[in-house]
Amino acid sequence: MQHLILISLLMAAFLLPARAQPTNPIHLKAYIGGQQRPDIMRDLFAQYMAANPGIKVSLEVGGATSDLHQKYLNMVLSAKDTTLDVFLIDIIRPAQFAAAGWAEPLDAYLGSDREAFMSRYLPAYREANTVNNQVIALPALADSLFLYYRKDLLAKYQEPPPTTWPELARVAKKIQRGENDPNLQGLSFQGKAVEGAVCTFLLPYWSLGGEIIRDGKMSFERNKAEAGLNMWRTMVSEGVAKKNSAEVGTDDTRKEFQAGKVIFGVIWGYAWNHFQGGADTRVKDKVGVTTLPAMPGGKPVSCMGGWNWSVSAYSKHKAESVALVRWLSSPEVSKQLALKGSFHPVFPSVYKDPEVLKAIPWFADALPVVETARARPVTPMYRAISDALRINTNTVMAGVKTPQQALDEIEQRVARALR
Amino acid sequence: MSAELNNFFTAKRLRWFAAAIVLVNGFFPAVWILFTSLKNEVELTAKPITYWPQNPVLSNYVAAFRDQPLPGYLLNSVIVATLSMLLALFISTLAAYAIARLNLKRRNLILTAIIAVSMFPLVTLMVPLFEIMRGLNLLNTYTALVLPYTVLNLPICTLVLVSFFQDIPRDIENAAMIDGCTRLGALWHVVMPLAAPGVFTAGILAFVNAWDEFLLSISMNAAVAYRTLPVGIQMYQGEFSFPWPTISAALVIALIPVVTVILIFQERVVSGLTSGGLKG
Amino acid sequence: MTARSLRDRILDPSETALAWALLAPALLFIAIIVAYPVATLLINSFFDIRLSRGLPTSFIGFDNYAAALHDSMFWRAVKNTLIITFVTVPGALVVGLGLAMLANMPFRFRGPIRLALLLPWALPLAFVGLIFAWFFHSEYGIINDIIRRFGGAPQIWFNSPGLTMMAICIATIWKTSSFMALILLAGLQTIPASLYEAAEVDGASKWTQFVEITLPLLVPSMLVALIFRTLTAIQSFDIPFSMPGPGEETQTLAMYIQLNTVDYLDLGYGSTLAVFMFLLSMATTWVYLRYVRGDKD
Repeated sequence: MQHLILISLLMAAFLLPARAQPTNPIHLKAYIGGQQRPDIMRDLFAQYMAANPGIKVSLEVGGATSDLHQKYLNMVLSAKDTTLDVFLIDIIRPAQFAAAGWAEPLDAYLGSDREAFMSRYLPAYREANTVNNQVIALPALADSLFLYYRKDLLAKYQEPPPTTWPELARVAKKIQRGENDPNLQGLSFQGKAVEGAVCTFLLPYWSLGGEIIRDGKMSFERNKAEAGLNMWRTMVSEGVAKKNSAEVGTDDTRKEFQAGKVIFGVIWGYAWNHFQGGADTRVKDKVGVTTLPAMPGGKPVSCMGGWNWSVSAYSKHKAESVALVRWLSSPEVSKQLALKGSFHPVFPSVYKDPEVLKAIPWFADALPVVETARARPVTPMYRAISDALRINTNTVMAGVKTPQQALDEIEQRVARALR
Repeated sequence: MSAELNNFFTAKRLRWFAAAIVLVNGFFPAVWILFTSLKNEVELTAKPITYWPQNPVLSNYVAAFRDQPLPGYLLNSVIVATLSMLLALFISTLAAYAIARLNLKRRNLILTAIIAVSMFPLVTLMVPLFEIMRGLNLLNTYTALVLPYTVLNLPICTLVLVSFFQDIPRDIENAAMIDGCTRLGALWHVVMPLAAPGVFTAGILAFVNAWDEFLLSISMNAAVAYRTLPVGIQMYQGEFSFPWPTISAALVIALIPVVTVILIFQERVVSGLTSGGLKG
Repeated sequence: MTARSLRDRILDPSETALAWALLAPALLFIAIIVAYPVATLLINSFFDIRLSRGLPTSFIGFDNYAAALHDSMFWRAVKNTLIITFVTVPGALVVGLGLAMLANMPFRFRGPIRLALLLPWALPLAFVGLIFAWFFHSEYGIINDIIRRFGGAPQIWFNSPGLTMMAICIATIWKTSSFMALILLAGLQTIPASLYEAAEVDGASKWTQFVEITLPLLVPSMLVALIFRTLTAIQSFDIPFSMPGPGEETQTLAMYIQLNTVDYLDLGYGSTLAVFMFLLSMATTWVYLRYVRGDKD
């Protein structure tokens, strides 16, 4: 009898607290790169946890480059790891995540809302995250290549911002001659074998209507690609861009423009804050932004960047993860990210938000550029195609290969990747 | 050699000259990053480049500690290198003793098999290793690096220890065994103290190899809490940027423990490495 | 106790059991960390396993091997790896020998000399790559600055595959000659001074002494150092990875394996490339072992 009392007391001791407390919080783990402002993300998660008491979100921060970020996800997800629930993926990756089955398709969770829900985003972002008619990720941060130019110098020589590449070369040479400064570069673009060089290759190629992949098959148009590579080579040979352009990485363009050594710079959105607010900037209030020039007879086009929230197919809390991701990719959060981190919004409406425009006036100029931005080839084998393009662009700029040799290698490598 | 040249190369001058070459060769890169770490970004991209920092700043050191948990990376490196060194020493001592001393057929074949481990580069084993560690739930733990590093170090440690053990006269050991020591007792009480320089050599080699490794480390322990120094240093790069002064500052800090260890142990490191342990 | 019974005890059959027991941990570790992954790799090399496509894996026989033999990037990687090996292994040996002989002189202050000798060895490879990439930077690097000061033409080092290979080899030799020097210093210090004194009496020149006494007596230490150095040279990754030339012109085999497995997630092809690397390592070791044996016979 005594035993029975003891046992029931013990049982009560075990059961009571369990009943008194809410169920254990669900722990979600999010993975982002070091470049996506972990401080701002932590703040967002804190807001989310305050509004959703049953959920605990923790953050894992990876390397600051997209390549390092992806290397880690490749390792973790190919091992079917269950510890990560949601992660940010680069805009070039949804196809790979879809094909590998790493991202949980979100259609079932969005239900009948899907069309209305997705139509709020910038169209290019909606499309880049929809693979085979499945929503693979939700847009979080937008970005695009811009043509930055020196407003002061263009005004001094009474030139409007150029709309074609030859026009840009003419204006640049005129200013370079007039200023008589051997260190003043007409144009700075990325010739180093970084991801940015893929865009270097694609900008003129797209402008002429070229595509790498059409309907899942390779569609490589050599003459357009050659025209593009030759355009960049001419920029270097005519002295518009500097001789070692093959060494120029993304941040080199930013630094040199910021030091006042560049008239036209092709670079992503992050550069603006450096130009306007950088400690040692020499171009404050002398910078304009416009759409990238077109090839003669082509159309203006930009290269799209950005990051998206995806839910791991191996997550143990998918429904909760989807709810988190929906919030993280909402207009409110997009606005917060713009105000706190100057990240480009993924909703056209946020670009026009008065509060945002007051804080970041240049978003008014940025929206039309972002709207011309195109997604890089959508394929599960993107990384191999990216390498083929960036490596060969770089070797042509370095003068190691002729455009013909480079195009041969691009063709071979793209064909092998898509086999 | 002409008389003139002989006059110039007096023994003393020759020594100074030799010392200068060795010193410049060894220190130059470290000194250069020290200088770089004291320059600001403007001075760094000045043309022509400056050698001595014109306006030395310490802000890069502040940034090195602010941007990444540098002390944590250091600690992880020390823990991983120390644990894998101890484990490699323990395992290879046992194996080397068996090979050098005990009644074993085909001892050369076994030694060759252990040395053959060096032929399998870590880069090729990475993916299967990753799956093993994940299966054992060991990703992002010290164990995930300590185990492979231990194996990585077995060949050289075993080789060094075998040659040291072989140099110890059997009589000493036999005497101990006549006095009633067991085999393992003799190993511990008699052979090990005599082979101390060899153990020290093998230990240093194991430590430095583990301290060096990058590829496996970034794959197994990508989480910030378990990153080792070579991986951590890479984390200073941004998507678009390569902050040279900050990275240099971090490198200088990373060098301090190494230089300290060498300065404390230099006598033993050099005598350990040079007392004939690696004579094949 | 008689000498006879002691001998019995040493050759006691139970000792064989003890020997295997002592070897067991080493063999067990090797089995888990090396043998099992190697077996996995061998099997994978016969399959089409591309994780990023999400398709089921399929057995394709020797297709991956055939693809490698027709892959110009594979051959380029092999070529680069061999260049690095054939340049940096002898290079490190020569530089290391020089450093060892210099450091072997009777100095009063040994501390700084030793630190200078040990520092490159203790500096992680990844750091060495970063530091030398900075040295060779075309605009801000010290190498071009020195060339300019001597009136030469500065080079854009990483624009040319040849110059990049040169920079990679210089960095690798700097890093590895330090370890080489330590081992050779060991060898130098075991050479009895009496040998040199006798040669001096016979009137042998310094050079003759070096060729006749120093080098032959150093051969055993050199061989050990060379085997390990060659194997690590074949696996060159960190330094060429941190000092990329134009495009992938200076890619090594280890870099190409890493690219295929980790970045392209083409595990089948990556495994096949790994098998080729094993073959290369084995062939090299075999050549050395043959030399060592031939030497002893």
